[in-house]
Amino acid sequence: MNTNTTTTSLRAKSVPRGERPAAYVVDPAAARRQVWLELASGGTGLILALFMWGHMFLVGSILTGEAGFNWVAHMLEEYFIAQPTVAFILLAFIIHAITAGRKVPAQLKERKVMRDLGRDLNAFGKGFPGMARGDARFQPHLESILWIWQLRTGLIIIILGSFHLLLIGADVFRATMEGGLGIEAVRSMDRVGGGLWMVYAILLICVEFHASIGLYRLAIKWGFGARLGRHTLHRIEQVLLWLFLGLGVVVLAVLAGWLPAPLEFLLKG
Amino acid sequence: MAENIKTARILKFDIFRYNPAEPDKPPYMQRFEIEEAPYMSLFLALNQIREEQDSSLQFDFVCRSAVCGSCGMMVNGRPALGCQTLTADLPEVIALHPLPTFALIGDLSVDTGRWFRGMVDRVNGWIERETEFDRASIEAPMDNETADKIYEADRCIECGCCVAGCAVANVRPDFLGATGLNRIARFMMDPRDQRSEQSWFEVVSDAEGVFGCIGMMACDDVCPKDLPLLEVYSYVRRKAVASLFSSGEDHPARREAEKA
Repeated sequence: MNTNTTTTSLRAKSVPRGERPAAYVVDPAAARRQVWLELASGGTGLILALFMWGHMFLVGSILTGEAGFNWVAHMLEEYFIAQPTVAFILLAFIIHAITAGRKVPAQLKERKVMRDLGRDLNAFGKGFPGMARGDARFQPHLESILWIWQLRTGLIIIILGSFHLLLIGADVFRATMEGGLGIEAVRSMDRVGGGLWMVYAILLICVEFHASIGLYRLAIKWGFGARLGRHTLHRIEQVLLWLFLGLGVVVLAVLAGWLPAPLEFLLKG
Repeated sequence: MAENIKTARILKFDIFRYNPAEPDKPPYMQRFEIEEAPYMSLFLALNQIREEQDSSLQFDFVCRSAVCGSCGMMVNGRPALGCQTLTADLPEVIALHPLPTFALIGDLSVDTGRWFRGMVDRVNGWIERETEFDRASIEAPMDNETADKIYEADRCIECGCCVAGCAVANVRPDFLGATGLNRIARFMMDPRDQRSEQSWFEVVSDAEGVFGCIGMMACDDVCPKDLPLLEVYSYVRRKAVASLFSSGEDHPARREAEKA
């Protein structure tokens, strides 16, 4: 529960009409920087989220078997699509981590205040008579706790995502230098089946969650799709989340060798 | 109705008690039990408790109809107006805390007035004109759509619920909050205000303004007056970005003034 009783620094002072109190005069250059930072964090977030969907379809080529997967990888590397993409995504990844991370509260005390508030708002209404009545005022507030999870998944992605990006980056650029395929079905399946599936399972869940919630929040923040309303936007976000998560689980299972490629007949026919 | 009385619940109120005038006495939660009455609001319940059980209990109420904005409090961890919240919607155990982010007066009573005065001073929450206001002349007409939008933003009763429910305001005391942005947006929309986009930009765009927001959207959900705070928020954001690319000379009122 929140029992914060500290006084706020927004104190009334008598100020001549039309003037701003000295303490509140802000630096226009700093304000301008904030806009650029906000655009950078939102823009890179959008790019990364959309890339992840494309990425899912590319990796999903494993569903058509090793031949399909290798063909896609070969095309991307042969025509130098993969190499600049890896570099670009790595850059966007770093920029996003820095610019979006600036809103993470630095102190443990601050994070606790946020977490407690989020929990309280999320617990409110659960099992209350008012909730059963369907009153909007008595619905648990999910978004606050979602933000906290977005932060947590973001931190996990920084660690596991860096690992993945460097691994694949090394594969691709080594192949470019030395010839041969950087991304190859046999090697990927060997790695994933050999135990890396644990890393990729965690990364998959975190990325899909982080990306879909991020897109939803981005739409709300800038007023895209405002006509649809928050409820509908949330519904769309949920559908996309489960769709890509489900697809990802199947792709991961095929890569790990637990499932035969279900669409292999397409290439054999 | 008879059925209601027969099955009346015994409500357990856990109320935060602390009086800053007695700093030696640490804050504590005190439990009060009262029998629920039909259509009982927290306003009625708290008055009954004060009348029958503890006359020292401090809380604020004026209008008891969600207009004055003085009875904001944390109800089971969520900001709400005491007069608007019916006990019938709440579970048997009701925890009441004062709104965080505001200076505590005592128990459930907080000083929202000082915060709001500071906020209005900071955003210059009034119409600013370069031309002298002429009382004698006929007021310039305003189209209905603009008037409606301004009226919508002006419905804010300054209860402070959006600030108390805001994660950012809870950790950063200088954050403007949804009500502050709403206040700014109200004057941005007003054609009588002649401030340039550049001068708005300074107020709204720093880290304590619109870009300090992390988008948890609690403000929009807890607002007792159902103000379109999300729309206000995205409007101010878009305005801030637009002002980045404008010379600051394109405010409609300014254009009109230049034409005249």
